Amino acid sequence: MNISAAFKRFFNRNGLGLGSFLLIAVGFWLIVLIILPQLSMLDFSFRHHLPPPEMGGPKDTYTLEHYKYLALGAQGADQSYNVVDLGVFVRTLVAAFFVTIFDLLLCYPLAYYLGQASGSGYTRILVLFLIIPYWVNEILRAFAFRIIFGDSGVINELLLAMGLVDNPVDFIRDNVALYSGLGYAYILLMIFPMYNVIESLDRNQIEAARDMGAPWWRIHWRIVIPYAKPGISSGCTMVFMLSAGALAAPQILGGPSSLWFTQIIYQWFNQGGNWPRGAAYAIVLLSVCILIVLSAMRLFKVRMGDIGK
Amino acid sequence: MKSQNLVLKIFLGLYLAIFFSYLLGPLIIMGVTAFNSPGFPRAAPWECLTFEWFEVLSNDKRIMTGLKNSLIVGSGTVILSVVLGLAGALMLTQIYPKLRATFYTIVIAPILIPGVVLGISTLVFWDRLNIMLGLSGDSFLHNGIFLTILGQSTFIASYCMLVFLARLQRFDMGLTEAALDLGATNVQAFRKVLVPFLMPAIASAAVLAFLASFENYNTTTFTFGKYPTLTIELAQKVRYGINPSISALAFTIVVLTIFAAVTHEVTQRRKQLALASGATVSAIRGDGFLLPGFLRSNPAAIVLLVLSVGAVATVGFASTYSPDSCKVVVREQKRALQQKQIEKIKQQRLQQQRDKATKGPDIFGADKSKVAPQSGFATKSPGVGAFGNVFAPTNLDKTQPKPESKTESPGKGAFGNVFAPTNLNETGPKKP
Repeated sequence: MNISAAFKRFFNRNGLGLGSFLLIAVGFWLIVLIILPQLSMLDFSFRHHLPPPEMGGPKDTYTLEHYKYLALGAQGADQSYNVVDLGVFVRTLVAAFFVTIFDLLLCYPLAYYLGQASGSGYTRILVLFLIIPYWVNEILRAFAFRIIFGDSGVINELLLAMGLVDNPVDFIRDNVALYSGLGYAYILLMIFPMYNVIESLDRNQIEAARDMGAPWWRIHWRIVIPYAKPGISSGCTMVFMLSAGALAAPQILGGPSSLWFTQIIYQWFNQGGNWPRGAAYAIVLLSVCILIVLSAMRLFKVRMGDIGK
Repeated sequence: MKSQNLVLKIFLGLYLAIFFSYLLGPLIIMGVTAFNSPGFPRAAPWECLTFEWFEVLSNDKRIMTGLKNSLIVGSGTVILSVVLGLAGALMLTQIYPKLRATFYTIVIAPILIPGVVLGISTLVFWDRLNIMLGLSGDSFLHNGIFLTILGQSTFIASYCMLVFLARLQRFDMGLTEAALDLGATNVQAFRKVLVPFLMPAIASAAVLAFLASFENYNTTTFTFGKYPTLTIELAQKVRYGINPSISALAFTIVVLTIFAAVTHEVTQRRKQLALASGATVSAIRGDGFLLPGFLRSNPAAIVLLVLSVGAVATVGFASTYSPDSCKVVVREQKRALQQKQIEKIKQQRLQQQRDKATKGPDIFGADKSKVAPQSGFATKSPGVGAFGNVFAPTNLDKTQPKPESKTESPGKGAFGNVFAPTNLNETGPKKP
């Protein structure tokens, strides 16, 4: 079947008006909104940082300077590598990884419980409770954590009142607030993919295993987890990508001495005014995240089509 | 076996309790701070019940402009992403099977791409297009609202598409074919058969899109230009000094959310009951609040009732209640406490003065060692210092004793500095 035949069939099926509407809408979305901006950003990241009048001029050539800057730092710096930015980058990825694991451990039991409990009024209320925090603004959620973990926050007041500590603990500087805020922010994205999959698991399988004398942990290890793998990987992928790319929570909850990689990107755009460098950093973040997710999916043998179900 | 079951139940209950206190605790605490009078949002030392923060909120022009911008951006995003998502979902059902996986990967990718990257790519692309077309910096391609709608729709359309796909899976393509066989045009078949079937999905996709647009920060922060949305305004407020009016806003949003969610739950439940009993929805609705039996079987309805009564009562109470007298009392208490502290410091100072007078040469050494950490603190975190001052709830009260000590200290300036570090420790709890 060649392309023109495919188009003819498409228009036969949808009619000219509807068919061209579909084509235009999807084309606009795919090309103008998704592909071209990404390509444009990729292209932009290889350009020199120039004032607007010089753009497109003779100086506007391709360069690797921004990627070099990320790897090696400013020329003439003390260290041979850009220790600060690379350190922040690695720390962001590691922290995002641990946030993902934390969310997985926290959410798996609940997803299993909700998925296996019959859809009674009680579980519906629980699901309602789950959803409510996600209708509240991301900023406000971070703000709530700031109130709780601040020096005069609830936890510190409690610790002081109980006499456990003499001086308030600086949770913000220790990044406790940041990690719990990030974990909090993406609970729902972890729980619902798992819940959807576990819900469709035939309960007879579990009962059969139990009848044959399998302990509870083996039931999970051999039946529930393999079955729920698409949901687990989908949830983990989303939580990892979103927490590595989070900006609001680190800005509000991050300690004064620790940065998130997205904050560096933000600074290049809004304070540094060096857009190409910001774009280069964004490209690095995007490609490394995608690489990590793809290799994790390869490792756990999950397909792309399972994401988002 | 039985005891094992009991242990399991206790564990489950404990786990659920921890989970939901992690989930809801922050919101509850934030809600409480909206009604406490200190200038820094805090729940722990309860001072006075107050509603002034709601008033502060409604008088905040930036928040209100942000809200307006958010609504504009939200409606634009809803229209664009529902249309794009629908087109994408329809396309996916028809596309040449070999291309399907690629197509799916591309349209699902915006969900996984960090919002920051989407915002940057949108900004860069339209900015360069603008330069290429030779338009000025004020053209519509640079308009914050235009860019924000496009940037947000990029990934919100993917959410919408997933909603449509879920619904389309249950659609019988035979229905459209039957309509076409009966002589309907393609557009008619689409409008009269497919769209009515998709209506619930369109509604939920629209709600989802609006919420996602309303709370988006990562993408918007790069594209908003001169039109900051509510989320942007909030972020700026939270980063550069906070007061409980933000809690008041959060409280309002939470209450509205619970209200909407519970209403939704009640109507769903009603439909189910109607289906189960075979009666029409309206018949059940007629009985809704008359029959306690219905309420008993429907916990959500009870919550809704309690909520509405609570809301009415609160508004009524707020219009008559005034926290002024309570505030005066609290201020007096604080002043008394501070007076005590000042006395204590004065005595300490006298004591030290006496000690040092006997030791003599040690003064300067001691001075230096004590002043140094203070300056170190100041250089380390200039931002924190700024925050600390803003947040200090007792800022206003603290300014009173300070001039006192200043007027006293010129004679013993060196000693005044000695006490600065201890002063810092005392105000310590208030810095962020």
